[in-house]
Amino acid sequence: MTAVLDRLATKRALLWALLLGVVAAYAFPFLYLMLTSFKTPSDALAVPPTILPKVWSLENFAKALDTPGVTAAFINSITTAVLSTVISLVLAVPAAYAVSRFGTVSGRVFIVVALVTRMVPPVAIGVPLIGMMKTLGLTDTPVGTAIAHTTISLPLSIWLMVSFFEAVPAELEDAAKVDGCSRMGALIRVVLPVVSGGVAVTAIFAFLASWNEFLFALLLTAVKAQTVPILIANFQTQYGLQWGPMTAMATLYSIPVILLTLVLQRRIVAGLTLGAVKG
Amino acid sequence: MSSSTDHLVHKAVAPPTPAAKPPRRRPMSDKQFALVLILPAAAFLAVFVAWPLVKLVIDSFHDIAPLAGTRRFIGFDNYTEVLASSDFLHAALRTLLYTVVVVTLEFSLGLGAALLFNALGQRSRVLRTVFLYPLMIAPVVAGLLWRFLLIDNFGLVNALLTKVGILDRPADIGWLSDPDIVLISVALPDIWLTTSFMTLVLFAGLQNIPGDVLEAAKLDGANARQQLFRIILPLLRPVIAVALIVRGIDAARAFDTIVIQTNGGPESASTTLSLLIYRTTVRFGEQGLASAMGTLYLIAMLAVAIVTMRMIWRPGKGQS
Repeated sequence: MTAVLDRLATKRALLWALLLGVVAAYAFPFLYLMLTSFKTPSDALAVPPTILPKVWSLENFAKALDTPGVTAAFINSITTAVLSTVISLVLAVPAAYAVSRFGTVSGRVFIVVALVTRMVPPVAIGVPLIGMMKTLGLTDTPVGTAIAHTTISLPLSIWLMVSFFEAVPAELEDAAKVDGCSRMGALIRVVLPVVSGGVAVTAIFAFLASWNEFLFALLLTAVKAQTVPILIANFQTQYGLQWGPMTAMATLYSIPVILLTLVLQRRIVAGLTLGAVKG
Repeated sequence: MSSSTDHLVHKAVAPPTPAAKPPRRRPMSDKQFALVLILPAAAFLAVFVAWPLVKLVIDSFHDIAPLAGTRRFIGFDNYTEVLASSDFLHAALRTLLYTVVVVTLEFSLGLGAALLFNALGQRSRVLRTVFLYPLMIAPVVAGLLWRFLLIDNFGLVNALLTKVGILDRPADIGWLSDPDIVLISVALPDIWLTTSFMTLVLFAGLQNIPGDVLEAAKLDGANARQQLFRIILPLLRPVIAVALIVRGIDAARAFDTIVIQTNGGPESASTTLSLLIYRTTVRFGEQGLASAMGTLYLIAMLAVAIVTMRMIWRPGKGQS
């Protein structure tokens, strides 16, 4: 009996060790990026490379923040992502509600079309979008970029919101309607508060889609509306290979979303696994 | 899904009875109400996705000189040129290979991690959080990070390989400069970024497998391998299908990570379709040609999408 228990305990310990190793290896690349950002710029290029900084220094951050246009780029990234998130939610929430509640033919056609939209390669609509934004006077503005980003986040938002609405029992609104609520009133006062967690998850994903997007930002912005990913990419061409400051900029740009992940991890996991596992 | 379809059936058979409430001033049927709610999103997708796609297809039948501002209808000439060009065919093959590499590695690693997490249960939660964070990192950042790790002479990967004795000198493997292996190397950031997605989805699927099914198998003397291939994987099939499709589509559209690492080089060895189309239109101004490539690329993606959609959509959707 004890021998069996011992064997089980050893097996478990081995599994833990294996898992720790895997997770450490997985987490390491970004940790290395952050550690490198605290090296001196010349240290960052040392041969052979060291993992820990020889001298802890903020010089890379100073240089990164000294890049022309860096404040504007951060403001642009935030503005664009917030705008895109708002547009996405305003459009996705009512549409997803209608699809999940009324099951009309139009709703079914719409959800299939919206899902197919997810398959469109951005590079295919990028160039026509440049022309359209020119016509609308929206090139090189956060609004123009936000609209382009919404083409990515809207199908995803609809998909997520449909799943969240489907988890709400229809009896809830029926009761509200019996109590004298209109359909719109039932949606706003009764259903939305119940799915507010789902709306938050959807908002996170819409925000991230825009925050991390590169191709549309590259095509649709020149100087004024440039976002941080473009600025980071420019570190390698414009200024040679400035690895040190580049790692500092990448760290600064990633920290907010990593903190967001830690704070909201339960909800993010719920959102990620929702569609797939239900299927 | 079943609750909403039931709902539909009720509505279709018996229109809403006015017993509950007297009709409002402007009564609107549920159908109309649904349409009103869907319309804004539908209009957005029509204007900013469907219309650009229509323009893409129209452009593909034209010879366009953006600088001179001229365009001329030339029928299928762009298509014949594209399909005869080895650049396009090679890029298409590379896209396929890249997608297969990314999805295969992600799936194997993701499944392995998910099984580990599942075996260790709730106490592995903190580690799952750590596993999550690469998903939040911008592909541009991931691309630069891996480029930094893979640099021939002072990159960490080759330095470590030299230290453990696999390489004689750090410059022995040119991850991003050797045309023979570059397509695998540029896939690394993509794999790193999204293996977490596979893990999370598969883990959630594993959690839904009833414990007594595996217990019964164990009692019947099934070993670990039999449990995995005879029970776990077949039960996970729908989850696996969705995960593979979502990731496959994303991988086939990869752009940021590759552009940042190699810009398609060396000798175009990492030029996938996204990069080729981008370069053809932005660098060379061949908008007609690029549109024909884009249209073909789109058709291929949609074909895959529709086939898989039917695969996923059938179960559960109609009657359950």
